[in-house]
Amino acid sequence: MTVDSLITETASRLFAEQCTHSAIQLAEAEGGAPGIWSAFAETGFPWISLPEEAGGSGGTLLDALEVLRLVGYYAAPIPAAETGILGGWLLASAGLELPEGIVTVAPGSRADTLMIDGDGNASGSVHNVPWGRHAERLAIVRDGLVASIPVAGAHVEHATSLAGEPRDTLTFTNASSDRAAAPAGVDEESLRFRGALSRVALMAGAIEKMSQLTVSYTNEREQFGRPVAKFQAVQQHLVWASQDAALARMAAESAGRQANRGDARFEIASSKLVVNQAATRATKACHQAHGAMGMTQEYELHHSSRRLWAWRSEYGGVREWSNWVGDAAIEAGADGLYPLITGGSNL
Amino acid sequence: MRFTPTELTIDERALQLEVREFLAAELPPGSHEPGLGMSARSDRAFSKKMADRGWVGMALPKEWGGSDKKAVDRFIVVEEMLRWGAPVGYHWVADRQTGSVINKFGNDEQRERFLPSICRGEIGFSIGMSEPDSGSDLASVSTKADRDDGGWILNGTKIWTSSAHTNDWFICLVRTTPVEPGGNKREGLSQVLIDLKNTEGLELSPIPFLNGEHHFNEVSFHDVFVPDENVVGQAGMGWNQNTTEMAYERGGPDRWLSPFSTVEQLLRETQGGDLERPVVELFGELTARWWALRNLSLSVARLIDDGDAPSVESSLVKEMGTRFELEVIEKLVELVDHELVSESESLFQRLLAQCVLTGPGNTIRGGTIEILRSVAAKGLQGLPA
Repeated sequence: MTVDSLITETASRLFAEQCTHSAIQLAEAEGGAPGIWSAFAETGFPWISLPEEAGGSGGTLLDALEVLRLVGYYAAPIPAAETGILGGWLLASAGLELPEGIVTVAPGSRADTLMIDGDGNASGSVHNVPWGRHAERLAIVRDGLVASIPVAGAHVEHATSLAGEPRDTLTFTNASSDRAAAPAGVDEESLRFRGALSRVALMAGAIEKMSQLTVSYTNEREQFGRPVAKFQAVQQHLVWASQDAALARMAAESAGRQANRGDARFEIASSKLVVNQAATRATKACHQAHGAMGMTQEYELHHSSRRLWAWRSEYGGVREWSNWVGDAAIEAGADGLYPLITGGSNL
Repeated sequence: MRFTPTELTIDERALQLEVREFLAAELPPGSHEPGLGMSARSDRAFSKKMADRGWVGMALPKEWGGSDKKAVDRFIVVEEMLRWGAPVGYHWVADRQTGSVINKFGNDEQRERFLPSICRGEIGFSIGMSEPDSGSDLASVSTKADRDDGGWILNGTKIWTSSAHTNDWFICLVRTTPVEPGGNKREGLSQVLIDLKNTEGLELSPIPFLNGEHHFNEVSFHDVFVPDENVVGQAGMGWNQNTTEMAYERGGPDRWLSPFSTVEQLLRETQGGDLERPVVELFGELTARWWALRNLSLSVARLIDDGDAPSVESSLVKEMGTRFELEVIEKLVELVDHELVSESESLFQRLLAQCVLTGPGNTIRGGTIEILRSVAAKGLQGLPA
């Protein structure tokens, strides 16, 4: 199973044109980028992997993850994952209508108080909701039901991620929702794994971009009469960042391929863990190699590094996923440990 | 640079299962003292058993006793052997690189002489690259070969030669043409084959490891005669041949599996107990990182089978893999939190003691991580390595 190269080419062209340094900067200042979103939506990209009969764009989960990788690479300030493989997936799976606009999901916070009563009326708050202020619908799964709640009537409290992207608090008071039974395999746990998979794809793209940016910057910047990339101490940062870019992309694509086949919990858990660590190491190496320039708003490194710092803690950090994989390793036992590493979820 | 994910085919998975069944029958856990990856013991009888299955020199042509298998097939056999801590020492070098070098650069007479016995697991090779004054700067080798009737006369010294005292043959990088002042050091080098057991003028002296074990040797040549039929490939082209050889050497499972048997044994010895969360988290982190590294390393083997020469990719994997090995050892030491005794009743603790003592060599052997970084950095910037 591979990705249609046309998807990679078209999405790359679109993002390269739309997501300029100043456009991303403006999106942050204004809390959104409606222009970039509508150019993106026009192509049908947000709904890739959702079936056409449900109003989606068809295609596979792998295709959708490739688009997310490019969203990460170009730091596109848009709710692509939420509208597509997270919220859109919840709605389409349960046979609920896909709205024309943005769908978002509640990533799940301890402070959430949202309750839905027997008549489908929603009351309470959800936190850290990506692009909540721009969403048309909030998709929720719990207790065997998927609910689609219109955001229009909600009280919205603005908050932002480390990358300056909206992560809002939505408070509902007796808001009516559309509900339908969640089919098998669509529940809180599967949404959490999908959320992690979406972040892994985004992060793989961002680390690769950051690593390439660092190679070109250190080849241009001269000190002591030669490009700083000629110094071994600087080369070490370039090598380590490119390793992490390769490692992250391999982990993301391996997990994506398995998710496209079926149960991929082991691969997703493992990939979120290793890509989180890769993001930590690579942002450190790339910032160091850039010196003070990388700390400024006028230079574009922060579009990638700040997104990585935000995404690495969304949908589970190293501790959550090392506990999950550790429990799987202990269940596999000594004789089953290597077969788990080679066979993963297929074991 | 691009690593493409790949999965095992049905046939490859069948091979994996066959190797696992072989190991479970031949070396059930508890019946043998596992080794640390490629530093495992040398056991001629075990090498013979593997050879009987066609698992030594398996990528070599059938014509010369091999099985015409792919790099991925060899990857599967090797990863299972290493994770098991199986005693692969005797055939290790011949299987990993020397067989391929003789097949690629040698002539038919040399193929006939060496490849069938390599594939039968009957011949152990040592490698002669480093010298007292040539380590990372390998092109500076000064072991001198002077032209003589029907061959060359060798004088000089090779150092850090693993297992020269137990192996049969030696593949050596020597200088057959002196460097002119200002000339290119990479020219004028040649690879020659030397019989370690029956050569006049060859002197072996042990260089004990820091823990007293005998792996390393110094090998000196005093007017050693090397006949022309023992020169591999073209005289003077040794540098290029040697670079190709190192590409076979890098990026494989031997560069990230060394402490695996130790971690597996920790799990065996703690099984059934109530594990504290930091221990669970450590198992989780190591498992996930091995999963990701293995996918990278497997993709390099697939690239080789597709006809690529992924030298930058394999340098990156080796640099990352060997650093990971040391990180594993550090994390285990932090976890254990009490004194290590080499004679401990616990196999895990015996293995960990050995990991600590031999670990620093992991990021040095076969090219230091500093040299690998320099190869990789040039590759990243599109420069020749």
